[in-house]
Amino acid sequence: MKLELIGKPGGCKLLRMTLEVEPPLSPASRLQRISIRGDFFAVPEEAFEEVEHELEGTALDELGLRFDALVLEKGIQCAGIGGAGLAELVQNLLVQKEQQHGT
Amino acid sequence: MAHEFRLLETGFHTAAFNMGLDEALLGSVAEGKSLPTLRFYGWKPPAVSIGYFQGLHEEVDVDACRAAGVDVVRRITGGGAVFHHYEVTYSIVVPLSHQLARPNILDSYRLLLGGIIDGLALLGIEAEFAPINDIVTGGKKISGNAQTRKRGCILQHGTILLDVEVDLMFSLLKVPQEKARGKLIEDVKERVTSVQHFFKNRGQNPIFKFLYEETVAALKQGFASALDLSLVGSSPDEAELAEAQRLADEKFASRHWTELR
Repeated sequence: MKLELIGKPGGCKLLRMTLEVEPPLSPASRLQRISIRGDFFAVPEEAFEEVEHELEGTALDELGLRFDALVLEKGIQCAGIGGAGLAELVQNLLVQKEQQHGT
Repeated sequence: MAHEFRLLETGFHTAAFNMGLDEALLGSVAEGKSLPTLRFYGWKPPAVSIGYFQGLHEEVDVDACRAAGVDVVRRITGGGAVFHHYEVTYSIVVPLSHQLARPNILDSYRLLLGGIIDGLALLGIEAEFAPINDIVTGGKKISGNAQTRKRGCILQHGTILLDVEVDLMFSLLKVPQEKARGKLIEDVKERVTSVQHFFKNRGQNPIFKFLYEETVAALKQGFASALDLSLVGSSPDEAELAEAQRLADEKFASRHWTELR
């Protein structure tokens, strides 16, 4: 399933994410594909695409930590984006879906 | 001793050429063929530029831009979408080994944007750095900036708003669904200001050419004083112009690059 997320989490610029995960949606769902867009900065820019690629296979509830680890590993300097912000967007989505299920 | 910088005033060009020239200048400085460089320029026709990480069709109404004769280009720097019309644009290229280079992006913005803050002060506009990448006056944005690091150099470019055209801008840029267009336009009018606004407050209503020239003159002095620069007036050389044109044609005007995300 394909999920579109948009928001401005604390400390971040406007972030947009497109996630593809195997249903059913849960915190343990693994990313099949992820695209992160927005008006943030990440230098070098080209290495950011490697991060997106290497996030594939990550469980949704590990996205933030894995993102920060990859950014560190690749020596990318970020401004306006961070793992906590991405995790916040995912968490919001999971809560929203849970509420939809409950109603 | 002052830092010797090359000063370029390259006039008004298409979006693809402007971005091509910034990248060509980065190459020249990176290869040691040129001094660190400060460039001032404008856009003809007007253009929308988007940040490297932005989705083209999420941010820009491409059909509306085409209909209005507005160029669309993706930058090599991050940051947000910008409508370039009544503004002064600058770029600065500094090797990472230079005394004016800072390893940290925020520190680097803070230092380099001192040039714009000092320049605006010369126009009677008291402004300050608003992290991550803006300059504000009285809480309103007057300058937006973007930076990258490539080939051992920092390239920073940005705009100083000479006049604000919020309604036109919002006919070209897409508005996030969650906010009503009218409300957003009102918000932006409250949050953005321009050099023209300050002239009008003094009872003046200068034409664009005057505003552009006055602002560039002030910014030259501002950069020179804030960064202790000795500016050497020059022009891009033939090789830089050829490289800029090649990058414009093969990269910045290409569909592949523009639609990268």
